Amino acid sequence: MLNYIYKRTSHALQVLFVVSIITFAVLLWIPGDAAQLMLGADATPERLEALRTALGLDRPWYLQYWEWLKGFVHLDLGQSYLFGQNVSTLIAQRLPVTLSIAVFSMLLAAVVALILGSLAAIKKNTAIDYFSTIVMQIGSSVPSFWIGMIFIVYFGIRWQWFPVAGYVPPQEGLLPYLNSIALPSIVLAIGEVGMLLRTVRTSMLDAINQEFMDMARVKGLSSFSIYFKYALRSAMIAPLNVMGLQFAKLIGGTVVVESVFALPGIGRLILVAVEQRDVFLLQGLVMFVTTLVILIALLVDIAVMFINPRIRVEMQGE
Amino acid sequence: MPNISFRVKKKYHLYGGASLTFLVVLLCLLSYVYMPHGPNDMNLALRFTSPGENPGYILGTDYFGRDIFSRIIYGSRSVLLVCCLAVALGSVAGTLLGAAAAIVKGPLSAVIMRSIDGLMAFPGILLAMMMVAAVGKGQQGAIVAIAIFMVPPFARLVYSLILDSENSLFIKAAKSYGVTRSRLLRKHYLPLLLPRLITQFTACIGAAIMIETSLSFLGLGVQPPHASWGLMLNEARQHFLQYPYLAVVPGLAIALAVLGFNLLGDGLNDLLMRRRS
Amino acid sequence: MKKRLAALFLVLVMLGTVAGCARTGTQTGTTSDILKVAYPTDPQGLDPQRTAAVATFNITGNIFEGLLAVTPDWQVTPRLAESYTISPDGMEITFILKKGVKFHNGREMTAQDVKYSFERLKGEGSPKAADYKNINKIDVVDNYTIKFGTASRDVELAKAFCYPWAVIVPAEAADNLKTNPVGTGAYKYVEWIPQQQVILTRFDDYHGEKAKIKDIGLVLIPDATSQLAALQVGDVQITEVTGNQIKLLKDNPKFQVYTEPMNATQLLALNLENKALSDLRVRRAIAKAINKDDIIATVVWGYGDKVGSHLPVNYPDYVDTNSVAPYDPEGARQLLAEAGYGQGLTLKLALPKNYQIHVDTGQIIADQLSKVGITANIEIMEWGQWLSDVYTAKKYDMTVVALSGRLDSRYFLKRYRSDSKDFVSLITGDVDQLLDQAGTETDPAKRKEIFKQIQFILAEKLPAVYIQTPHKLFGMAANVQGFRIYPIDIYEYKDVSFKK
Repeated sequence: MLNYIYKRTSHALQVLFVVSIITFAVLLWIPGDAAQLMLGADATPERLEALRTALGLDRPWYLQYWEWLKGFVHLDLGQSYLFGQNVSTLIAQRLPVTLSIAVFSMLLAAVVALILGSLAAIKKNTAIDYFSTIVMQIGSSVPSFWIGMIFIVYFGIRWQWFPVAGYVPPQEGLLPYLNSIALPSIVLAIGEVGMLLRTVRTSMLDAINQEFMDMARVKGLSSFSIYFKYALRSAMIAPLNVMGLQFAKLIGGTVVVESVFALPGIGRLILVAVEQRDVFLLQGLVMFVTTLVILIALLVDIAVMFINPRIRVEMQGE
Repeated sequence: MPNISFRVKKKYHLYGGASLTFLVVLLCLLSYVYMPHGPNDMNLALRFTSPGENPGYILGTDYFGRDIFSRIIYGSRSVLLVCCLAVALGSVAGTLLGAAAAIVKGPLSAVIMRSIDGLMAFPGILLAMMMVAAVGKGQQGAIVAIAIFMVPPFARLVYSLILDSENSLFIKAAKSYGVTRSRLLRKHYLPLLLPRLITQFTACIGAAIMIETSLSFLGLGVQPPHASWGLMLNEARQHFLQYPYLAVVPGLAIALAVLGFNLLGDGLNDLLMRRRS
Repeated sequence: MKKRLAALFLVLVMLGTVAGCARTGTQTGTTSDILKVAYPTDPQGLDPQRTAAVATFNITGNIFEGLLAVTPDWQVTPRLAESYTISPDGMEITFILKKGVKFHNGREMTAQDVKYSFERLKGEGSPKAADYKNINKIDVVDNYTIKFGTASRDVELAKAFCYPWAVIVPAEAADNLKTNPVGTGAYKYVEWIPQQQVILTRFDDYHGEKAKIKDIGLVLIPDATSQLAALQVGDVQITEVTGNQIKLLKDNPKFQVYTEPMNATQLLALNLENKALSDLRVRRAIAKAINKDDIIATVVWGYGDKVGSHLPVNYPDYVDTNSVAPYDPEGARQLLAEAGYGQGLTLKLALPKNYQIHVDTGQIIADQLSKVGITANIEIMEWGQWLSDVYTAKKYDMTVVALSGRLDSRYFLKRYRSDSKDFVSLITGDVDQLLDQAGTETDPAKRKEIFKQIQFILAEKLPAVYIQTPHKLFGMAANVQGFRIYPIDIYEYKDVSFKK
């Protein structure tokens, strides 16, 4: 078991190393120049040269990469020229926003997927099953920015149920906080729910057809406890795995959703960094986000291993 | 009995998906033959004509008085051509990489597969945005970004299929008969890989459309004045409070196109996999 | 089982409703000690001497002050200076400083700080250094007297001390001004969370009349739709609006609208180093092909004034030159044929993405040019790329941009000297002599005449097609008063208050 954790972790570290090389190499190509952007239109060539030297932009790429990697390990991601602040500070300011909508949308999607997916499996080929198929297909084909725009018009402006832009931190009150992240979370959850629903339905079907279910029925347990105490528990593992994988997609989705709802999160920071070619900021953000995604996938894998003895055995056999 | 209805449902996927996809292809072909107005032609006097108000502009006009119907027709090009080209590029590169990794084995194989893992670790839109920052905005940027994003799924698929099949009996048998490499590839691997690749290809186009329209919506994809569905939604953002109809048709178009390719992918998967087994 | 599920759904629905109701609860009206203002783009740091970004000046105009200031009516008035005198030969300007001016860190400002600040403005990393090259001597006479000497005579020297970058900063805080600005202004800095908000609070030791409203909360809202919505639900009290949105506010007694021409000119710059564009007939054809009225009606919904030359309509030296090259597509086609481009001409049109107004204008221009046989290939660029490719390297054919915010005509027009190396210039040298005269001419009437001539020459020679003076449009809550627009890129909040 420790062996599995060790193997899985070292694999994650290797991937992280590759990720750092890709990130750095891609962003080395970025045309345009941080020094020019900082000095603006009236800059003279001498000033540009001096600033380039000061920023280390004139050194060979491998030295720049090494410095950058060392900094990353020490959580020092350099400075954003755009904001004049440390990249790590900027990320720390935005993380609560992005994590809030990511976690809330995941919860929402999980609840809906669990309920609809189990029902669809139990009542296979009935109206509920077809309904959940439709939800699944729509959820994975309707673009989130479009739903976001529609929500803003109706829930935000016509009916004024929710604010249309901005973020209220939880310190300023729980309800305003929930309000400010409600619409973006729902929009994001709609995109998430399809995949989860499919997994819950399939694994629930598997579970229902297993022998112990028949045993339970023979023992005369109520159908509620059959489905929700036994079947669901054993059907939880696959969806949990999917949730770990979905997290990457979810973080990607926040870029679009934060842009639609004007939320000051990681996603919009990425957009600004791309648009303004703030190379240090973009490098830092991409590395941070990808590390987060890899880390969560790792943790989910390990968690699943603890829950599911079958995997534990399989892994030892490998 | 449930099995039958299940099969009927899958056929339904296939037909539904095929007809929606056909519709997109039709729009794309139509854009070369006929459009009611030039997609970029402005008619400033008639701007913000709502749908049905003027029979010459059945879906209405936008901020510059351009015909929305014509722009929808034209926009199908960027969805279809950009996405198909990008997925094609990605699938070829992915297939080659995956096959190479499976055949050469050893450290090179490990390097390839680790790089693929690394690429896979990036959230999709983030990788695409990073590529756009490096390559530049516009169609080329979008194609490169989506193509790179599509490399890992194909590489992994091909890699695992080849490794699996090496242990299968009929390949072992063929090898023991001394069948040449190229014949082995043509007669045995290709029939094995092709259905899976086709299914994967179709399913990936749906994802590619989502990324392409997201990039356009964020202003990183197709550039004005050209029309693309994501860009139309982006442009609608400034005005949709007063003119909500601006956002309706492009959004629907995207949703139906993605739905079409997703359903087709499901349907094909069912059809081809079933035939194999 | 069904009952339990139904109950679960009910709970979820109720949660949603509660959340929805809470929204209406939080929408209280304005309190009198905080003013919330929407702003569309983040500042590039809060150090006004280390950036060229207007978004920075919009905010730092409240935190920092210069020796002189300009009123909304273009009058130069003393701010940190008590008074100033210009030597008879016009080569020196002496300031007597106000006594008892405190920085936000509590220290008193002296002439040493003024000297330090201007050296900093002229020094390494300052984008505006070139503008102050002419000042070659800074002498501290005593703690409250300072003298600036110039290399050559500049009649409008005093105006150089009004700009939002010609401000006094304390040396001890200078290294961190980008993130922790310390000045002498009526408001002091509290907090800046990029992409979210900037908070300022009244400086109680301010040397002049203290600010009327205690706190200023600047809220970042990037798009126009959300800005209007924020104003309508009371999240902000002041926001910029579009011409289209004004209709929604005008008839509503809860809101007021404030519009004023900007001190800026939107133009289509033409690169005279391009072979086709070096031909005056082609430039004139382009000018005749462009229907400025259509552009103004579409892009700014009529909130703009057509211009024929470089100076904006509200400029003191402005003359109307619209009749020089009026809209005439037939004439444009003829001119093109004469110049040998009857078969067609293809040019690139660079547009800066961050400015929707220029991107929209450029798209209309491309459409209008296509009707006389000129193909304009649009290329939309990020601001940074625009700065390096178009502004600095001059690698462009045509571009749409607005040039803004100078107080004296000569500074505004000096890019048209043949040796200016500016991205838009008149390399033929038609205005060189006039610009030199304007530098030393002290008689206001004669100066006015010189600038009139320059404007007409520009309207005829067309180094750019001048389009319009756009207006600034603000939507405000009905009880806000005292908010004004300045000819330089600042918004001052110290005189703003709420009606009782």
